[in-house]
Amino acid sequence: MAQRLKEVDVVVIGVGMVGSIVAKELAAAGYKVVGLERGQTRFTVPEFQSPAVHDELRFDIRKALMQDNTREPVTFRNQGAQVALPVRRWESFLPGTGLGGSMVHWNGQTYRFQATDFQLATRTRERYGKNFLDPDVTIQDWGVTYDDLEPHYDRFEYLLGTSGKAGNIKGRIQAGGDPHESPRSRDYPTPPQKEHFQGAMFRKAAGSLGYHPFPQPSSNLSQPYTNPEGVKLNACVFCGFCERYACEHYAKSVPQTVILPVLLANPNFELRTGCQVQRINLDSTKKHATGVTYIDAVGRVFEQPASLVITSTFAINNIRMLLLSGIGKPYDPATGHGVVGRNYAYQTMSTVASFFDEDVIVNPFMASGASGTLINDFAGDNFDHSGLGFIGGAFIGAVNTNGRPIQYHPVPPGTPAWGKGWKQAVVKHYNHTVMFSCHGSSVSQRQNYCDLDPTYRDAWGQPVLRITFDFPPNDIKMAAYVTAKAVEIGKAMGAKQVVGSPRKGPYTVTQYQTTHNTGGTVMGDDPKTSVVNRYLQSWDVPNVFVIGASNYPQNASWNPTGTLGALTYWAIDALKNKYLKSPGRLVSA
Amino acid sequence: MNAPAPPFARFAFSFLLIAALPCALAASATPAAAATPAAKPAAATPAASAAAAAAAPPCEACHGAHGEGMAAAHVPRIAGQSADYLKKQLDDYAAGTRDNPIMANFAKALSQQQRAKFAARYAAMSARYIPQVKPPIAVHLARGHQLAFQGDEAKRVQACNACHGPDGVGVPHAAPYLAGQSAEFLASALKAFKDGTRKNDAGELMRSVAERLDDADIAAVTGYFASVDLSTH
Repeated sequence: MAQRLKEVDVVVIGVGMVGSIVAKELAAAGYKVVGLERGQTRFTVPEFQSPAVHDELRFDIRKALMQDNTREPVTFRNQGAQVALPVRRWESFLPGTGLGGSMVHWNGQTYRFQATDFQLATRTRERYGKNFLDPDVTIQDWGVTYDDLEPHYDRFEYLLGTSGKAGNIKGRIQAGGDPHESPRSRDYPTPPQKEHFQGAMFRKAAGSLGYHPFPQPSSNLSQPYTNPEGVKLNACVFCGFCERYACEHYAKSVPQTVILPVLLANPNFELRTGCQVQRINLDSTKKHATGVTYIDAVGRVFEQPASLVITSTFAINNIRMLLLSGIGKPYDPATGHGVVGRNYAYQTMSTVASFFDEDVIVNPFMASGASGTLINDFAGDNFDHSGLGFIGGAFIGAVNTNGRPIQYHPVPPGTPAWGKGWKQAVVKHYNHTVMFSCHGSSVSQRQNYCDLDPTYRDAWGQPVLRITFDFPPNDIKMAAYVTAKAVEIGKAMGAKQVVGSPRKGPYTVTQYQTTHNTGGTVMGDDPKTSVVNRYLQSWDVPNVFVIGASNYPQNASWNPTGTLGALTYWAIDALKNKYLKSPGRLVSA
Repeated sequence: MNAPAPPFARFAFSFLLIAALPCALAASATPAAAATPAAKPAAATPAASAAAAAAAPPCEACHGAHGEGMAAAHVPRIAGQSADYLKKQLDDYAAGTRDNPIMANFAKALSQQQRAKFAARYAAMSARYIPQVKPPIAVHLARGHQLAFQGDEAKRVQACNACHGPDGVGVPHAAPYLAGQSAEFLASALKAFKDGTRKNDAGELMRSVAERLDDADIAAVTGYFASVDLSTH
């Protein structure tokens, strides 16, 4: 029997980046907010300190910071005709857990999407005609525009202190920045990080081919910074332990370093960790949430009543929360009807390795998660796709993040997979190879979706999430095209051997690609094709807001965090200035 | 917020230098100018360069025959410190990004090759551990150990060892050792970072830390590192 607790104004499910920001804003506005976090409390000191945090076996191989998939797995299959099986080892993507969420182990690559991305369906139809795309592709407009989000992108970047170089301020192109970016209202809060040697080689080569290289925007900071919340960050030391690790230097922008000190000092906020939310509770009309039910670390069941519920968990867990709660109609790929779980998408990652002689020394270990140089000439809709048979693109960059000994050992094709020959090749190439990433977009497609698994259940007895996904033909074509362009840059750098590895199907969950899972609770203007409206409010249960990369109708060519931060502040603006003043539907269906 | 640290450290240094210089530097360049902080730095005359390059380096007068330093005078131990680090400090003294009139005079008188040579010489030395005259009391040692190994979340200070290596043994090329270093020197270095007279730390990495430490923290952490005898590691 659940113990019923005293009602509060707001329950936030998941105290990661989104949850921390939302809770901070609403607590500061005077509302009583409870944050329910399934993982543990953790801070820079003592939990993130080295040498313990630089344990590659523990964090990289054994995924110490990730969702416990012995208790809460997901199942996966490529196609609807297959039987999905549980993912027992996180490999392809890495959902985090614990205070601060997945952002604790992010790389700090902080991009904005471009204006065209938010109106992708309209733009594609207008530029390439209505029959350009495979009929199974289900891309759609977001319901918000870049101009809507610009002030919120700005606010998020200044919260993080992002280090970068503007390419377009209010329509004026800035030398050294990205000329393709949509106009920003001002420059980044801090200048770019130092360029590593691979980045410098890339910049020279890409420039010689007429492209437009620029420094990657990084939330591993180039210099000390005090954000508008009054929280101070340090400069990054290029230790090479970002992605999959927590930062011990207060130099990577994560909730612990940018906002939690302010949130946790507010008496209107209460953090409860070790709390596994089972469902959002609805009243008998199924149109109003009454709160949530959760189980704490020792197994006690609680009902936490609340006037407003915000689910701000990792993308795929947001989908599952709605499915477990009966909010919104589940998607059915056979009919194309239903919305929850629809338009699940990913990121189409390809690589290029450029092998040099031993006189070119790159020191790959000297890196931050977001140092490097890239081009957007083949990203998004920055080039003409007429006749190419696909939409989307990828940024191409020398954005090497580390040279850690267990995981990083580039070798050319034909190298033995183990033994003496492999070891010799690793030694030969470790310090003389430049890796490019081709960070590609992902269209949503009718066959790709998430639902509740009919067989497997979590440690609390609830069905786990089932992911059905394979790379759409559109994205395989895109990867082949962009990777070929990246190979040309590798050759222009003067490499002895350039090896392009365009992403090919089938998608596999046993190989790391990226933790950029998107979609499943997508935003939009039409309740038939979206789960939440343009303010991220549930169409079906107006006192439930869903905030996450699960809101993206499809994924663009860049890392999703910057856009998620912008959407978070956009939704907060609607909550504070519209919803909480007069609770109800913000958009009529 | 960041009141300048009292300049006692530099005065003590200068005073002892005056006392120590004549014996070791009898034939060396302009000791009077070097010992007077207010004096204009000596120009790198050919004579000065030649003297500095002589077999018995002027460093010994203060840093000791084995690079063991002179703790009470805030003169650091430099034996076994990484050559890259020592060379960078000489360059920074000469450039003025590390403010010390005495070291500036010496450094300016040296060519790049001479600086590299001295740096390599002391990097290759080893010197016995010198116990502190007044070892820190247990409670300060405990606080120092905490700052060294763990840091302090309330002050948003990370562990010293995160950059300076396990128990402050140093990370060649990147960060100097702190273990066995003179507490007096470490304290004056932290205060110099804090008040901005020393600003040769990339990304203000040391200033970011030093400005969050109060006098008690500085005494504790420097006392702790001075108590670490590397030869027992």
